[in-house]
Amino acid sequence: MSRPASAGGTCASRGLGAAHRRRISIERASAPAPVETLEPETTDQVDLDSPWVVIVWNDPINLMSYVAFVFRKLFGYSKEEAERLMLQVHHEGRAVVSSGDRQEAERDVFRLHEHGLWATMQQD
Amino acid sequence: MFRSPIKRRSDGTYRFAVGDDERRLVASVVGQLRELILADDPATVRLSPPPYGDDDERNAGYAALAGTELTERRLASIDIVLDTVDAESLTQDQLESWMRSINDVRLVLGTILDVDEDDRPAPGRGDAADNLAVYEYLGILLELTVRALTD
Repeated sequence: MSRPASAGGTCASRGLGAAHRRRISIERASAPAPVETLEPETTDQVDLDSPWVVIVWNDPINLMSYVAFVFRKLFGYSKEEAERLMLQVHHEGRAVVSSGDRQEAERDVFRLHEHGLWATMQQD
Repeated sequence: MFRSPIKRRSDGTYRFAVGDDERRLVASVVGQLRELILADDPATVRLSPPPYGDDDERNAGYAALAGTELTERRLASIDIVLDTVDAESLTQDQLESWMRSINDVRLVLGTILDVDEDDRPAPGRGDAADNLAVYEYLGILLELTVRALTD
């Protein structure tokens, strides 16, 4: 990541959470009320449920302050956690920013791409 | 002391006192961005990374599912920038559209300039020098926007 030519790098920020989410086409899977069932869980189901992780990769264009802001906005991270993840991306080249089922991971990847971050997903 | 032209007001809107020349510049470059997106120009490659790494089949499936929506959102953001290009007051949603579209232009310009992590791009001449100047100016405007949004 980079810093702008002359406007400094760090963001002094507070208080902005995930309150501005917008409608997206890849909605989180709906969560119906739990229904009692006698059917045992199958191995297929276990496989489907194994988590996916969403990874953001370092790139030389996105500003550090911008990346931290996007993490806070999309995931509701605290300022400190967003900064930590941003610095992990910057120094280690990548960071896991969210996890969930495949549909949730695709939704998060979509929102990160919408904000220009280089995001991929893989099964943990 | 430097006073940012972009500042959050107590009512939640944003004072947006960017100069006319800068507004014309942003209008020009986001208009060009729209043309590049619609033409699926190679310079826009960075706007839609393959989510599944080397898994071409899954990447194609994802692109079929989400690609159009992603493009439509980018174009909608550009439209908001152009609709508010002379506004001296922006809502948070409008300012975030400016933020995303400016960042998109930087991604395209950075791709064209082949920006590297460690070295600032060489100034170059002609178009390359113009592109670098715009890239760096947009970096400053983006930084000021992010600061205003996080204040």
